[in-house]
Amino acid sequence: MSTVDTQGSPDSRYARRQNVIAASVPLVIGVLAAIAAWQLGLGDLSDPGPGLWPLVVSVAMVVVAAVLVIRSSPTGAEERFNRDSVIVVVGVLSLLGYAALFEQVGFEIPTIALLMLWLKVLGKESWLVTVVVSVLASAAIYLLFITGLEVSLPHIVHF
Amino acid sequence: MDFFSPVLAGFGVVFQPENLLYCLLGVTLGMLVGVLPGLGPAATIAILLPVTYNIEPTSAIIMLAGIFYGAQYGGTITSVLLRLPGEASSVVTAIDGHEMAKQGRAGAALGIAAIGSFIGGTISIVVLTFVAPLVAGFALDFGPAEYTMLALLGILLVTTLGTGSVAKSLLMAALGLLLATIGQDPLLGTARFTFGSDGLLDGIDFVIVAMGLFGVGEILYNLESLRHKAPPPAPVGSVYPSRRDLRESRGAISRGSVVGFLLGILPGGGATMSSMVAYAVERRTTKKPQRFGKGAIEGVAGPETANNAAATSSFIPLLSLGIPANATMAIMFGALLLQGITPGPLLVDEEPELFWGVVNSMYIGNLLLLAMSLPLIGIFVRILRVRPAILAPLTILITMIGVYTVRMNVFDMFLVVGLGVLGYLMKKTGFEPGPLVLAFVLGGILESAFRRSMRTFDGELSGFLTQPIAASLLGLIVLLIAFSGWRALRGRKPDPRKEKHGTPAERPAEDRNPERDDDRADHPG
Repeated sequence: MSTVDTQGSPDSRYARRQNVIAASVPLVIGVLAAIAAWQLGLGDLSDPGPGLWPLVVSVAMVVVAAVLVIRSSPTGAEERFNRDSVIVVVGVLSLLGYAALFEQVGFEIPTIALLMLWLKVLGKESWLVTVVVSVLASAAIYLLFITGLEVSLPHIVHF
Repeated sequence: MDFFSPVLAGFGVVFQPENLLYCLLGVTLGMLVGVLPGLGPAATIAILLPVTYNIEPTSAIIMLAGIFYGAQYGGTITSVLLRLPGEASSVVTAIDGHEMAKQGRAGAALGIAAIGSFIGGTISIVVLTFVAPLVAGFALDFGPAEYTMLALLGILLVTTLGTGSVAKSLLMAALGLLLATIGQDPLLGTARFTFGSDGLLDGIDFVIVAMGLFGVGEILYNLESLRHKAPPPAPVGSVYPSRRDLRESRGAISRGSVVGFLLGILPGGGATMSSMVAYAVERRTTKKPQRFGKGAIEGVAGPETANNAAATSSFIPLLSLGIPANATMAIMFGALLLQGITPGPLLVDEEPELFWGVVNSMYIGNLLLLAMSLPLIGIFVRILRVRPAILAPLTILITMIGVYTVRMNVFDMFLVVGLGVLGYLMKKTGFEPGPLVLAFVLGGILESAFRRSMRTFDGELSGFLTQPIAASLLGLIVLLIAFSGWRALRGRKPDPRKEKHGTPAERPAEDRNPERDDDRADHPG
C-alpha cells in the first residue's frame, strides 16, 4: 500500500475510473426513466400528462450525468474501496437478514444477534461488553417502544 | 401590541414543563451528537423522526430544533481538542482552535466559542421574530407560478452555493426529483415507476429517504473506520476567557452574527458555509493576518458565532415560506409533515402556538447550551472517550426499529437499507446527499406547482413572465446560472487536499470525513 492509499485518496487512474462508473449508472437510470416516462403519456403543456414532469427530470439527469462522464478527472473527493469496505458488506447483509427475520420471529432474537455481530465481529469488543450491551440495549428498546410508546413491535416476550 | 401578544403567548408554551424538558433533551442530544464525530445533526434528526411521531407536535419540533442548534455548540469541542470537527460547520474552527489548544488555551477557545454561539444565536432569534411574520405576510399571495420559481431557485441555490462540485450536486438534485415522482401522480392518480409494487404506490416516505441516506448511509460509511481508536483529547483548562480575549473577539462576534444570519436565510447557505465565510471575513478585516492559523481567537469566535446565527435564521424560509433552505431543514420539513402540519405562510396565523413556541424555545435552548458549554463542559469532553464500536450498533438498531414503526412495514426496512447503501456509495464517490434530500422534498411541491401554472397559463411557458414576483425570481435564477457558469469558466480549483492552509472558504468540507484522514495519518498502514 502506498502512502496515498492509507489516506483514502486513490491514485488518479483509479479515481477517474470510479468517477466514470459513478456517473454512468445514473446515466443509464436516467435513460430508462425517460423511456418509461414517455410511455406514461406526456399530454401537452396546457394539460400535462403523468409522464411529462418525470421526462423533464430524467432528461436533466441524463444531461448532467453525461457531463460528469466526460469530465471525469479526479476532484479529491473520491475514496478507494479497500479491505475495510468488506465490513460494510457484512453490515449490509446483517441488516437485510434482520429485516427478513423481524416479523417472522419477533424482534428480540434478531436484535440480540445483530448487536452481538456488530459488537464482537465488526467492532472487536470483548465478550463482556458484547453481552452486557446487547442485553441492555434490547431491554431498553422493549421498554421504550413497547412499554413506553406502546408501538406494536412484533415480539415474543410478554409481561 | 397586536404583534406581541402571540409572541408572549409563545413563552407560555415554552414554559410548560414538558416543553422545557423536551428542549433540554433536544439540546443535550444535540451537544452529544456535535461532540461525537461521524453522526451529524441531520442524521440524528432523521433517526429520531419516528420517535417524535408519538409526541405532541410543538414539543417534537422544539426537541428537533434543539438537536440542530445544539450540535453547533458541541461540534466545537472536537474541533478544538482533537482537530476532528464533529460537524462540517466546525471545520474552520479546527484551524485556529486546535492551535490554541496546543498552546494550552483550549479552554479560552471553547469559552469564546460558547459565548459567541450564544450571542449569534440570540441575535438571530430576535431578528427572526420580526422578519419571519413579515416574509410570511408577503408570501400569502403566492400562487403556483411563484412557488414553481421559489422551489426551482431553492434547488439551484443548494447545488451551486453548497460545498463540493456543482455538476455532482445537480445530478443528485435530479435524482432526488426523480425519486419524488415514484408513486401516484399527484393530480391524476396514475401509478408511476412503481414496478407493480404496492409498497411503492404511496411513494417513498420522506422519512425513509432521510433515514436511509443520512442515518444508515453515515453509519455504514463510519463502519470502515470502526476499529480505529481516537487519540486522547487535549486538556481543557479554564473555559472563562480573559478580558483581552473578549476584547479581541468582540468585532469577530458581531461580524459573525451578521454573516451567519444573512447566509442562513439563503437556500444552500446554512451553518457550514457561513462559518467558512466568517473565517474568510476575519482574515480579511484583521490587521495581522499572519496570526491566523497560529491560534488567533478571532478565527474561533467568528465562525462559531456565524454557524449558530445561521442555524437559527435558516428556520425563516422553512417556517414562513414552506421552503427548506438546507438538508437539515428539509428533514425538519418532513418532521412537520409527519405531524400533519404543512409549513408555509399560513403557519404563523394558523398555528401561533407552535410557531412562537418553537421560536421562543430557542432562547431557553441557547441559555441551556451556554450552561452546558461553560460549567458542564467536562462531562462532554469525557464523552469523547465512548468507542464508536459501541455507538454504531446502537444507532443502527434505533434506526431499523424506528423505520418499522413509521408504517409497521418490513418493506420500509429493506428500502432504508437500500437507500443506506446508496448513501454510502455516494460518500465514497464524492456525491453529497444534501441536494438529493432537498430536491426530494421540493420535488412534490415543484411538480404540482409547475403543472398547475401550466394549466393557468394555458401551456404558455412565457406565462411566468406575466407575474411580477415569479418573473423576478426567474431573473434571479438566470443570474445564478450565469454566475456559476462564469465561475466554472474562470478556471478549475486546485486540489484542496494539497493546500492545507489555503483559504478555507474554498475548501470543500462535507465531501470527506476529516476524522478518518487524521486518524489514519496517526496510524499509517
